[in-house]
Amino acid sequence: MSVLGVSPGDLTAEAARPDFGAAAWRAPRGAHRREGPDSSLRELGAAGDGHGPKSGEAAGAGQSAQEHMGELELVVTNRAGRSVATHQYHRGAMRVLRPHYLDGSGQVCYVLVNPGGAYLGADLYVIDVEVADGAKLLLATQSATKIYRTPGSFAEQRMRLRLGEGARLELAPDQVIAYREASYRQNTHVTVRPSSSLIMAEIITPGWSPDGASFRYEELRLRTEIRVESAGEGGRESGLLALDNVLIRPPLGDVTGMAFMEGFSHLGSLIVVDPQVDQALADELHEITAGYGAHTGISLTATVLGTAGLVMRSLSNSTEELQRVAGAATSLLRKRWYGQDPLDLRKY
Amino acid sequence: MTYQLALQQLTDSALPTGAFAHSLGFESYVERGLVHDEESFGVWLAAFVGQQLTYSDALAIRFLYEGVAVAELDGSLTAQLLPRQMREASTKMGTRLLEIGAEVFPSPELAEYRAWVTSGRGAGHQPLAFAVIARSLGVPLPEALAAYLFATVTSLTQNAVRAIPLGQNAGQRLLRKAADDVAAAAERAVHLTPDDFGAVSPGLEISQMRHERQRARMFMS
Repeated sequence: MSVLGVSPGDLTAEAARPDFGAAAWRAPRGAHRREGPDSSLRELGAAGDGHGPKSGEAAGAGQSAQEHMGELELVVTNRAGRSVATHQYHRGAMRVLRPHYLDGSGQVCYVLVNPGGAYLGADLYVIDVEVADGAKLLLATQSATKIYRTPGSFAEQRMRLRLGEGARLELAPDQVIAYREASYRQNTHVTVRPSSSLIMAEIITPGWSPDGASFRYEELRLRTEIRVESAGEGGRESGLLALDNVLIRPPLGDVTGMAFMEGFSHLGSLIVVDPQVDQALADELHEITAGYGAHTGISLTATVLGTAGLVMRSLSNSTEELQRVAGAATSLLRKRWYGQDPLDLRKY
Repeated sequence: MTYQLALQQLTDSALPTGAFAHSLGFESYVERGLVHDEESFGVWLAAFVGQQLTYSDALAIRFLYEGVAVAELDGSLTAQLLPRQMREASTKMGTRLLEIGAEVFPSPELAEYRAWVTSGRGAGHQPLAFAVIARSLGVPLPEALAAYLFATVTSLTQNAVRAIPLGQNAGQRLLRKAADDVAAAAERAVHLTPDDFGAVSPGLEISQMRHERQRARMFMS
């Protein structure tokens, strides 16, 4: 019997759905779950139907000693060209600020806030975001995600993102900073439709340590799985588009040198999934990014159910440099595909 | 030990899968002047064995041996090999291995995987083609892992001898050293978890991506 829950020799399309590490992205819950009177929805400017956790999703394995520190649910729906939240729930140290509209595109911008200011050992944060058919969401953060010492444990963020037909999601978080003796796991599961558009950026950096060395954290593990789903003729079809797994464990060996971090300390990733992604776009972005200081590579994913992805990875010693190179790429895409100006969150 | 000679044939560098045409990213380091002699290639090779071959190839082989459906693993490898040339290298060599295997080491499992790839539903990755054949021959997992990893290391070293270039004896010294890394990688792969699958270092991936735009090159990847 398969360790991953699929019978040997079963070659059907349904069995061909890998579930590596899916590890029930919402588990463990249970023991630490409290229905939240601490969820102050007035502050959120929520638009409506269904405050409170969605039913049927509260069950979990509950096998770990993790503290369920915060959770957030957000559903954004298209209402006559303007995207609005139609479901919102938060509990604990995770909430969103009042929504903004940065331009006339109808794209709504939510800013994630962690009032606790940092992730500590055994902290578990769960984020569940749905962008419904035709809706447009920009999800940013108020500040960097700081991971402090997590002795004998790790901080964890589980995020599930679902995009409907023609839905757009731009994920533009601040950087993750891992300080001395920090362990952090981030599991992101994304489901898109063939007509969805996704832009997700990520920067991971080492925090300051007393001796000035860069790689004093224990472990950074950031795993992103992007799946395409479509309602095909023979029922629902599904395919894995990209599996991006970043694992940096400085105590286990030299991660600084050639063929690992290449002498750099900061890592940036940008993933774009859109039916308009093609080799010409990858080549054009390569030309643009070649003018920046970061050491960058760009490549296409395979095509799955009519859509494709583009992955850009950059190494640098500076967060700002990584932001600039990713910004150059996303500015081109925003302008060309949606007629939007470059993203400037500092104004708001 | 009925499988011994079959395994030797399967991992011989003369097996016509086209491995001579792939640097799997080291040519980017050659172009940047970072890999230029025996020592610097040895550093790259050790990292490649500890990263790419451990977290991608070896884990895929192990999961197949443990009964995970080859279709699932095929899709996972396609999704995980983010640099396009790495995907193409794996499926080019994998498709050849499926063809050769069908002629010389036929089995129902191999025929099934090959038919699935031929129908266009699967990509046909090299470590999976190898694992399906090796398992059908009764090769135990530890031997299959070590043999596959060392065969890859051997063709990469032969390619480096030609490309850098290095002396033939330097190539043999590199292989002797790499054997220790291969043994360690085969041992480690058994203890990793499904969450570890595909955790290849950013530096290797970037160099493999940049190879697509390298002007003068001897290798397809």
